[in-house]
Amino acid sequence: MTTIRIGRLSAALLLIAVLALGLVALSACGSGDDEATASSSPSAAAPGPITVTDDSGVEVTLDQPAEAIVSLAPANTEIAFAVGAGDKMVAGTSYDDYPEEAKALPKIGDFANPNVEKIASYAPDLVLAAGGIQDKLRTRLEDLGMTVYVVDPTTYDDVIATIENIGKLAGTEDSAATVTDAMTAAQMEVQAAVGDLPQATTFLEIYSEPLMTAGTGTFIDDMITIAGGENIGATAGAGFPNFSTEVLVQTDPEVYIADSGSMSEPGDITKRAGFAELTAVKDGKVYVIEDSLIARPGPRLAEGLKALAGYIHPEADSAQ
Amino acid sequence: MTKLARTGAWPGILLASGILLVCLVLALALGPASLSIGRIWDLLMAGPVKGNLDNAIFWQIRMPRVLVAALVGAALAVAGVILQDLFLNPLTDPYVTGVSSGAALGATIGIVLHLSNLPWITVLAIVGGLGTLALVWMAARRRGRIDIFVLLLAGVTISYLASAVVTVMMIKANEDMTAIIYWLMGSFSGRGWPDVRIALVTIPFMIAPLFFTREMDILLQGEKRALELGVEVERTKRLLLVTAGVLTALAVSVSGIIAFVGLVIPHVVRLMIGPGHRGLLPVSLLAGASLMVLADLLSRTVISPNEIPVGVVTTFIGAPLFVYLLRRGRRA
Repeated sequence: MTTIRIGRLSAALLLIAVLALGLVALSACGSGDDEATASSSPSAAAPGPITVTDDSGVEVTLDQPAEAIVSLAPANTEIAFAVGAGDKMVAGTSYDDYPEEAKALPKIGDFANPNVEKIASYAPDLVLAAGGIQDKLRTRLEDLGMTVYVVDPTTYDDVIATIENIGKLAGTEDSAATVTDAMTAAQMEVQAAVGDLPQATTFLEIYSEPLMTAGTGTFIDDMITIAGGENIGATAGAGFPNFSTEVLVQTDPEVYIADSGSMSEPGDITKRAGFAELTAVKDGKVYVIEDSLIARPGPRLAEGLKALAGYIHPEADSAQ
Repeated sequence: MTKLARTGAWPGILLASGILLVCLVLALALGPASLSIGRIWDLLMAGPVKGNLDNAIFWQIRMPRVLVAALVGAALAVAGVILQDLFLNPLTDPYVTGVSSGAALGATIGIVLHLSNLPWITVLAIVGGLGTLALVWMAARRRGRIDIFVLLLAGVTISYLASAVVTVMMIKANEDMTAIIYWLMGSFSGRGWPDVRIALVTIPFMIAPLFFTREMDILLQGEKRALELGVEVERTKRLLLVTAGVLTALAVSVSGIIAFVGLVIPHVVRLMIGPGHRGLLPVSLLAGASLMVLADLLSRTVISPNEIPVGVVTTFIGAPLFVYLLRRGRRA
């Protein structure tokens, strides 16, 4: 009795497997057709191809400015709108929340799980992807005939360069220049205010349990340095490493800033085990900063940079 | 016979106590913040004092963390012994009862609702763990007795169900995904005195089974045989199950899910001193605490200022030790 049932079950499984394989083969054919139609459409009279280098060091070329853009990260959506390419956006991610209009865009999934089929269905001529988790996606999208620009900046200046590039690709260089000029101005303003002050040791909390920080090779680290801070997280390595609480207390930061994504409140932070003795806590220099102002590589980093400078060197802020 | 077994347990208990003591001393003396032995002694003598960084590191960060690790390790090992023997299944660990997945679900709800870290997430984890135990219990109850086989299957099933719900919540509340993943991975990072207080609740539940070692020994021969020998089988099973469930729920709620200790420590101890519970239970308790304290010490010092997830360390220490003992046991 049992053996018969298992026999039937495995037969059913086999059948399902065969059907699934057939579907895969079919969809592969389908995408092949898409590619053919996409590449066979002749380009309209254009002033010439646009070539820029993205954050992964790959040259990205468009024959003419992009007309249909899909963004795979909230930051990319924000950049597209900021450089005046909002009307060219055909789809974004579920977590796009800025600017307000971005919320109304069709969604292709979220940052971690973009749906390739959905992306292809919008037939974009430019896909703005992110680094890291989306690394493998690039080849898949390019195989489907899409042009991909990877936004993965590691410094504040990288962010400025990427915004310029996206402006070029979208044919909205002038609006992009307004944005990047403002970002450069913010940087110069902050540098002028804190340049002569001694660096203040700063800990930036990305997450609380376990304690995580922003290490080297992140634009957050770069921004802390620009804002006149000495990033303690840089001693823990690259990226977003976890960090020993004991070492944190021994290093005794002068300023403690938590990213709002860590879900910490200044009140919770000061109450943590051993934190009462920290200089930052005693001096009342414990802050929570809005995540999208420092962790999202886009135009609002200018605001984030000014906020960081205000937290790290309040004396410079009031002197202005 | 019984007298012989009784005296036989003491050398093991004494040796395990000694090992735990050494582990505790090492764990308190060493850490990523380098404090000299002399300084540690001064701090220990001074007691918790305000206004001093070293003192805060020793008394507010290191000490509670070591104590939580010891209590969680002990609780998981005791729960592991009880459940392996109750289920007569060597692959059992404290997590098969579904209690840990239930606790994870409770914690996830707390994280998604943004209830601030302590104590609500911990409380919800305990509620989730015990709630799951109650569900599994009801599923396994037939005509006034607990069917161990059904209990195991129901536990595994509900465990999968709870994990599926956690996954759905992670996808829905994407911004909390990191928090949930880190909770699930398990860690003693940032544990303070409030966590110690919760972990201390495990102590009576670790002591209680020590009064049922005879019943547990007899239960190993099967429920029928135990009934014939006059053991109140159902009452004993109920008591042991609740004990193991509460221990697991408390352990998981303060530390997340830490692999391997509850599975391997009972086996290692059984291989070394035999299956008699008079020795097995207390030695497992002490060995579980030692392994966890040692693993946490390595977790926070080896790549300082980074930390290695403690579950990885317990596995790295436990797996080779276990394989070695298995091979040696077979040869003997």
